[in-house]
Amino acid sequence: MTNKIMKWVSWSVFLAFLAVYPKLFGIYYTNVFVTFAIFALYAVTLNLLLGYTGLLSFGHAMFFGAGGYGTALVLTHMKGVSLSMALMTGFLSAVGLALILCPIMVRVSGTAFAMLHLAFGQLMYVLSLKLRSITGGEDGIGGFPIPSFTIPGIVFVNMKAPENFYYFAIAVLGASIWMLWFFTKTPFGSIQVGVRDNAMRIDYLGFKVPQTKAVVYIVAGGFAGVAGSISAMFHNLVSADGALHILNSFVPVMMTMIGGIGSFFGPIWGAAIFQVIEELTSRYTQRVELVVGLILILVIMFTPMGFVGILRSIKQKWTTYKIRRKS
Amino acid sequence: MNILETKGLYHDFSKLQVLFDVNLQVKEGERHAVIGPNGAGKTTLFNVITGTYHPSRGQVFFKGKEVTGARPHEMTRLGMGRSFQITSTFGRLTAFQNIRLAILSKKGIRFQFFRKVDSMQAITEETDQVLKRINLDRERNIPASMLSYGKHRALEISLALATDPDLVMLDEPTAGMSKDETHYAVQLIRRLTEGKTLVIIEHDMDVVFSLADRITVLHYGQILATGSPFEIRENQAVKDAYLGALEV
Repeated sequence: MTNKIMKWVSWSVFLAFLAVYPKLFGIYYTNVFVTFAIFALYAVTLNLLLGYTGLLSFGHAMFFGAGGYGTALVLTHMKGVSLSMALMTGFLSAVGLALILCPIMVRVSGTAFAMLHLAFGQLMYVLSLKLRSITGGEDGIGGFPIPSFTIPGIVFVNMKAPENFYYFAIAVLGASIWMLWFFTKTPFGSIQVGVRDNAMRIDYLGFKVPQTKAVVYIVAGGFAGVAGSISAMFHNLVSADGALHILNSFVPVMMTMIGGIGSFFGPIWGAAIFQVIEELTSRYTQRVELVVGLILILVIMFTPMGFVGILRSIKQKWTTYKIRRKS
Repeated sequence: MNILETKGLYHDFSKLQVLFDVNLQVKEGERHAVIGPNGAGKTTLFNVITGTYHPSRGQVFFKGKEVTGARPHEMTRLGMGRSFQITSTFGRLTAFQNIRLAILSKKGIRFQFFRKVDSMQAITEETDQVLKRINLDRERNIPASMLSYGKHRALEISLALATDPDLVMLDEPTAGMSKDETHYAVQLIRRLTEGKTLVIIEHDMDVVFSLADRITVLHYGQILATGSPFEIRENQAVKDAYLGALEV
């Protein structure tokens, strides 16, 4: 009972904090937080493949990019598109891409999976550079109108104000992360983890392995598209280098590794740590990746379960300490 | 009635013939042991029947229906359960989560996205019952890879049984077990397969003669003899090829 109350209290405190955050920290840090939240969702979708299904992707950026370009294109070329429609277009573009690729991708694993994604990711990158008439080449697509959030006659919120966009982005990204968390807790989620541990036995238990992987793949791709869509609207820009570049495929992998691969919340921690490092180091140097790379090496050498691994071992030491003091 | 039947089954691994014209018949309700020296093709026979491999030639019938080349999940859904010679569980999942996967399969819960699996009381209860029956209730929350060898084998066998199959195929369930563990495992198998048809690969002749009421001897990929334990013990060809060597 007290546990339940504690849960409610901590959730309300957390939500209240999110609500007053823009007032407390100003526009700059509000935008930093939105960036963090975008990458948190993006990294969580990657971890759905990596941590939960055992599939390492080096081309996750193509889904992020599909979401971004989908949203940007529909906002540029169609009039009267609502905010939710723009978001939906981004989501569905990424889902579409995942649907096209999944017949191949669910039948490979390990290195082949990683390399095929590297290849397709680079293909998307080159396509976005070459198909200038559609994608705007290196310049990307920018300056498209950002629709307001409206419920006719009741609410009208202008999304051009950073604070308003913050609430919209946090709501969408938070809800997406919650949905993915719930996804991992369903019966399907437990079958998915079974595929990671022993796909052959899952087959022998009566589950279809390729179909299971396909669902995970489409969900992971689609929600990476949501992150990309929000990112495109946030920056009012989507470009080949910003969304589809290979570094953007490595970023969520690094976030997941640093945060902790074995837990749902690890990638979120990873995204936060990433954001903090970037904030701190970019004051002194342009070479943010150098610092991040160094930290990644240290994490892999000393704490393979990442930041969450450190938290867990501290918690364990604390409980054994308490038990010892009692006896 | 034959619950399982193979007709003229052949299998080869790139020119290496492993199975020659295997005609196996398993009657409903019987306990059928497949024995034979190492490399006789026992596990390959299992793999061809349960869907790991597609046979090069021949047919497999299960419950009177042809199932040649059916995939493992199809065989499981038709009512076949299979355990492995080399333990093959979900290492990072707890004993409870391992068995729960089998229970989910049994209930046909596959693409269910709108409920938490932990909140499914009926599933949890049934899983706990299975754990209790196999004496693993105290190890409920231990990852499978951390279980003792005997307990891990028990989990392996129960994964095959927890989907409630009509035909159970056990591939050397007592492999690597001590005498005590073997004795316990035999009792467990006997208890859990009550009323089911059992096909078992086994090297330990004590286990075979105490569990089986029909025996098939496989030798270089061919069936040497099939019969009751008594008939097999008295069969001259079997003695020459296999049993004689064991009794020395």
